[in-house]
Amino acid sequence: MATVKLTNVKKVYDNNVVAVHDFNLDIADKEFVVFVGPSGCGKSTTLRMIAGLEEISDGTIEIDGEVVNDLQPKDRNIAMVFQNYALYPHLTVFENMAFSLRLKHVPQEEVYERVTKAAEILGITEYLLRKPRALSGGQRQRVAIGRAMVRDSKVFLMDEPLSNLDAKLRNAMRAEIILLRQKLDTTFIYVTHDQTEAMTLGDRIVIMKDGFIQQVGTPTEVFENPKNLFVAEFIGAPKMNIMEAQLLRKGPSDYCVVVNDAVMQIDINHCSRLEANNVQSGKITLGIRPEHVTICKEKAPNNMACRLEVNEMMGSELHLHVTDVNGDKLIVRTPTVDLTPEERAGFRNGAEIYITFHGKAMYFFDPETENSLID
Amino acid sequence: MKKNAETLPQKRHMGMSTKGKISNTLIYILLVVIVIIWIIPFVFILLESFRCETQGMAGYVVPKQWGFDNYVRLLTQTDFLKWYGNTLLIAVVTAVLQTIIVLCMSYTLSRLRFKGRRFLMNFMLVLGMFPGFLTLIVLYKVLSGMGLTGPNAVPGLILVYCASSGMGYYVSKGYFDTIPKSLDEAARMDGATRFQVFRKVIMPLAKPIVIYTILSAFMAPWGDFIFARYIAHGSSAGYNVAVGLWSWTTKTSVGTQYTMFCAGGVLVALPITILFMILQRYYVEGVTGGAVKG
Repeated sequence: MATVKLTNVKKVYDNNVVAVHDFNLDIADKEFVVFVGPSGCGKSTTLRMIAGLEEISDGTIEIDGEVVNDLQPKDRNIAMVFQNYALYPHLTVFENMAFSLRLKHVPQEEVYERVTKAAEILGITEYLLRKPRALSGGQRQRVAIGRAMVRDSKVFLMDEPLSNLDAKLRNAMRAEIILLRQKLDTTFIYVTHDQTEAMTLGDRIVIMKDGFIQQVGTPTEVFENPKNLFVAEFIGAPKMNIMEAQLLRKGPSDYCVVVNDAVMQIDINHCSRLEANNVQSGKITLGIRPEHVTICKEKAPNNMACRLEVNEMMGSELHLHVTDVNGDKLIVRTPTVDLTPEERAGFRNGAEIYITFHGKAMYFFDPETENSLID
Repeated sequence: MKKNAETLPQKRHMGMSTKGKISNTLIYILLVVIVIIWIIPFVFILLESFRCETQGMAGYVVPKQWGFDNYVRLLTQTDFLKWYGNTLLIAVVTAVLQTIIVLCMSYTLSRLRFKGRRFLMNFMLVLGMFPGFLTLIVLYKVLSGMGLTGPNAVPGLILVYCASSGMGYYVSKGYFDTIPKSLDEAARMDGATRFQVFRKVIMPLAKPIVIYTILSAFMAPWGDFIFARYIAHGSSAGYNVAVGLWSWTTKTSVGTQYTMFCAGGVLVALPITILFMILQRYYVEGVTGGAVKG
């Protein structure tokens, strides 16, 4: 249980590659923070610097107010779960979990008690006497988590713990991590490249790219108010549709957007934010999430014609891949429940459909800086 | 790719009935011939060591009178036990020290990154390509200055054998490289020092390579002749078995000590053979390395 504070943390490798630029973050006690970003964005490096496995080139890392820059990993009182589990192959599951306690010369009874308790929580009691190689991937991952659990560490680090598991198991383990977090009630820092994990697990999400923090916020904040185009595209699946459009300022706090031949109204809230940011008429980058695209029955001034290329049946919804007159590709999500059989039959490849965008759900970005205009 | 995998075993099976059988037979015949050639000297020495009718060379193979006379004479009337003790002491101490040095060195080179690491590795690799006895004369001078030659050759030889042992890092470093680094990291997070990581995680996983290192570190001094002969230079108290036994094969002594020489040879081969048979399994695993999954 501890706070973690990173101030101007920087990582430069020997070959002068800068992995992390000027990283600033305050993590509160018992908070669950997720670092997310594409591979090579510096998220794992940052985590490893907190762990002490990677030297800090510049800046300071504090745990519970104490600067830990020069402390060895063993002196930081941090537990970590690795992507490839990193279980000791020559030790049984019990001894794997007891390893840290043995190093600290914890009395035998206490070791037994703590290991069996953790094993019970994780449901691996029956495997305690097995060697790791006799376990499945999911079981190994539990042991790895158990090994971190038995220690009363201040901070719990997880480096892509689920990415070696298959999709089904990953979903199950994700739910278990949420339960585990409630039980342990300690500070978590979790690294992943998977936005779903980030959204479902994190109290706060740190989105990184090329060593820079792009945005820090709650899942709702980063989903609803992405600061820039990168965050907007990274969070949400399928990803946000991006296209060029014209913004028209008709008067104070009165804007509309022109996409191809369609003129779409913008919600009053967004208008006032555009006004507050002093945005004038001109070319912008428009973002719209697939679920906020509406299909219209016939051509109207506020919708545009598109050609349907691919129709993916996902069960409860359809993912329609469409192309507009400029060749821009968009994805439209539409629930299947309200569709009539005729409508469904109409969604055949090559068909022309008309779409319009939800006025409350459009995002506007500066084409130059890629920053949000309604932030 | 997949098609190949399906058709290949079939082809091999078909070949087995005709061509395969012939080539297999030929290979086995060749192997048997090699084994016979290989084993003949050992059989001769063994037979010679039990010969009682003469103490010199007999000119025929099978002894006419069998017995342990040569062994008794060897152990009671000569310096053999002293030489044997010298060799054992040198080999054991060298094996222990060299193993520690080599393993620490290889682990360091495998795990730690420091300035000049690559240069050091290449430098030692190139240096190791020169035969060791190039340094013979210099080493003799140095050791003689320290008073570690002649009758005091034993500590001198230990020094020589251990001195450059760090250069033998190559095989074990290769093995350590196959053990995932995240195991080290996990152990360090669990509260282990670098040395505890080495001792409690890496060593148990590296058993084959540890045994390989011990064996090779033991065998080199056990059978060494060149260094041992020069550094002991004519002082029987400093001989190892190889030099001692060799001293019986000179023109003047070979007539009376040849069978005893053979008995000595058998006793020298014994411990190595036993060691090898016990540890063979690990040895093969160690040399072929890399087969371990983290």
